[in-house]
Amino acid sequence: MSAKPTAAFFRAEGVLVSSGVMQAAMFMAGQRAGMRERALRFGQALASAPLFGLLGQNDRTLGNRVAHLCYRDMTEDRIVVLAEEYVDDVLSEKILDSGIELLRRAKADGHRIVVLSEGISEIMERVREKWRYVDDLVCNRLEYRAGKATGKLLDPVIGGYEGGKWLSQYAAVHDIDLSRSFAYAGHGPDLLLLSQVGHPCAVNPDFTLRKAAREADWPLMDYKA
Amino acid sequence: MSDAPVTLSIRETLAGKHILLTGASGFVGKVWLAMVLNDIPQIGRIYVLLRGKGRGVKERFEKILNESPVFKPLHEAHEGRMSEFISQRIEVVAGDVSQPHLGMDPETEARLRRDVDVVLHCAGLVDFNPDIREALSSNVEGAMHVADFVESSDHASVLHVSTCYVAGHRDGFVTETIVTDRSPNGTPLHAADEYAKLQEIIAGVQAENDDPATEVNLREDVVRRLAERGHQGDYKRVTDMVGRLKRKRLREMMAKAGTDRAKALGWPNTYTYTKALAELLLECRSDRVRFASFRPAIVESAMEFPFAGWNEGFNTSGPLVYLAGTWFRHVPAAAGNALDVIPVDSVCRALSIVLCALIRGEASQVYQCGSSDRNFLPVDRLTELSALGHRQHLRKHGSDALERLVLSRWDALAADPEHVLNVTNIRKLMGQVTRYLKHGMPEKIPSEVREWADDLSKTTDSGVRKLRQIEDVLEMFMPFTYQHFCVFQCRAIDRHPVAEREFRFAPEDIEWRSYWLDVHMPGLRRWCFPEYEDKPKETYAPQTPFRLLDAPVPESGESRSHAPQPAREEAG
Repeated sequence: MSAKPTAAFFRAEGVLVSSGVMQAAMFMAGQRAGMRERALRFGQALASAPLFGLLGQNDRTLGNRVAHLCYRDMTEDRIVVLAEEYVDDVLSEKILDSGIELLRRAKADGHRIVVLSEGISEIMERVREKWRYVDDLVCNRLEYRAGKATGKLLDPVIGGYEGGKWLSQYAAVHDIDLSRSFAYAGHGPDLLLLSQVGHPCAVNPDFTLRKAAREADWPLMDYKA
Repeated sequence: MSDAPVTLSIRETLAGKHILLTGASGFVGKVWLAMVLNDIPQIGRIYVLLRGKGRGVKERFEKILNESPVFKPLHEAHEGRMSEFISQRIEVVAGDVSQPHLGMDPETEARLRRDVDVVLHCAGLVDFNPDIREALSSNVEGAMHVADFVESSDHASVLHVSTCYVAGHRDGFVTETIVTDRSPNGTPLHAADEYAKLQEIIAGVQAENDDPATEVNLREDVVRRLAERGHQGDYKRVTDMVGRLKRKRLREMMAKAGTDRAKALGWPNTYTYTKALAELLLECRSDRVRFASFRPAIVESAMEFPFAGWNEGFNTSGPLVYLAGTWFRHVPAAAGNALDVIPVDSVCRALSIVLCALIRGEASQVYQCGSSDRNFLPVDRLTELSALGHRQHLRKHGSDALERLVLSRWDALAADPEHVLNVTNIRKLMGQVTRYLKHGMPEKIPSEVREWADDLSKTTDSGVRKLRQIEDVLEMFMPFTYQHFCVFQCRAIDRHPVAEREFRFAPEDIEWRSYWLDVHMPGLRRWCFPEYEDKPKETYAPQTPFRLLDAPVPESGESRSHAPQPAREEAG
């Protein structure tokens, strides 16, 4: 048996928290400085929601780029302060206890805990403080120029099909035995990520992933809390 | 030979040195005094010059040390031995910088001339537009009296605390030099002539106020007003009222004369003008008086010492930050302009460095002490941070749902002064509403509506008065927030690398967001806002009150190169 360490990979959205990046984007857009900016950017976020939903099944990278456009020209100061508010007031109510239990069990089993999130680092780093078991957090990062967000995400954009490739690289760097590792995710583009590990599990999967999981005979989990 | 700057040790340089401190009751003076006593116990003697006479001046000093939270770390470190510790290092001297010989008695003055190594001159009047006589006396003549003392002393030099804003109305990069031949707007200027001109202006205003015709006019005015109110004023009452009016009028005219002169030469207010004049006059005596001019920018809450957030009084950013937490939204500020803020403990560290450089004879003539050159903070960022700080606070501690849900999200914005919702327009609108409610309502309306309108008019009337105050505050700060883009060079201090890490001056290490949200705003909320709201100030009460001892017991086992002198009764 391999003596290499193992890991448990969790996609935050859908597995650990019930809300996604769109809610965060709308919250931020609705709290911009100035009423005109608020209305404009909230409208923008609202308009991009159906597009994100549509792209979310397949090209989640583009979906994420569209969703984060409403951060454009928002100062880093405001994003950091609002992220704190969002986590305390909104996200803490959306945490899925069943997912946290999975996290706890994986840690107890001696796996390295890695959380992947489409959320921005300003939000997810704060959530991480609440999740004591997390060894590594990989999330999206906004690009800033002169203290203001450009509305672009820095590469690599988390959430797309690159997740599988990223996972292989991560395993190589940390010498992880993927065949004995676990992964929990719920979106179509996570297929490649799940297929990399020996113990994949589709959690609250969307249509695409549910179909693929059934075909691959992967375990399925559904929970709402 | 290498030109590399020599590293200096603050503790070694100040050990056993005797310092005369003026302005010890001010914001910077108190923090510097507490910091030096806390960090450099091997200091020689600090002569604290305070206004007052006899026992009163000692009691005033005791009150400062016993009530100001600045001295809390010292009280905690020395507990029951605070009185001995301080009395061995401090001598309180009765005096006044605005008086010749610093208002000291001849014997004390003679002794201090022999003993003092360096004068730290922090005293000054920091009101922006005071009576010009007071500003001249405190800021200009005070500096000259200190220079007289230094000139007649055995070996002393002086560190004169000025302000970066002596640069006046100007844009761009402000270097660490004294411009001696012209004012900020380019008017040719000679320090001695300007001082004489100012005295001429004061004499002119005084003469105008003393003119018998002025008194006649005032008397007629008083009699008419009394008659309008149905009073038959007797001669004594009228004379008293005229006297009061004359004094008030004189103060107002003197304040206006100072402001007018300052503006005519390109300074935004009397404070910066008189501080600049003091520098110019000192420079004229630079062949006889060894001095350095220390120019802090906007001195704000402490980062660490005496504790994070310490602040006091009506400082520059305080009113602006306070406004950002009200319903008023449009702060007149130009995006990208610097508001050069520097924490008070950074300023005090820099002061100690320059004092050491002066003692070692290595000082430059001017040291600017700010952040804009090394860690730029634009005023629009500061406005947003203030709004965000209030948001964080009001969300959790708002007094009602309106504050928690609406006011917390009612962000202040940096806006053009001509913005349609500027404070002047809002005040005018509110004034019109007040007038309508008072006089414009139809006569035939139910009495309940009339009462409601009367009550509302009182509220709007009070709002108009508050908006007038806000307008004055904003106008006062416009040169800093809107009119000028200034970056103050702050490099002279780098010529003196410091051995002790805790004394280094490093504004580039300030992380503005955490400073503003976690240090400065909580500090303002605790120490300054109560003053703006006429609420009682928080004071500190040590377990064992400090008493200045007349004959302190020398400390055993502590190496001090100069034996401390006993505190002298006649000095107090």
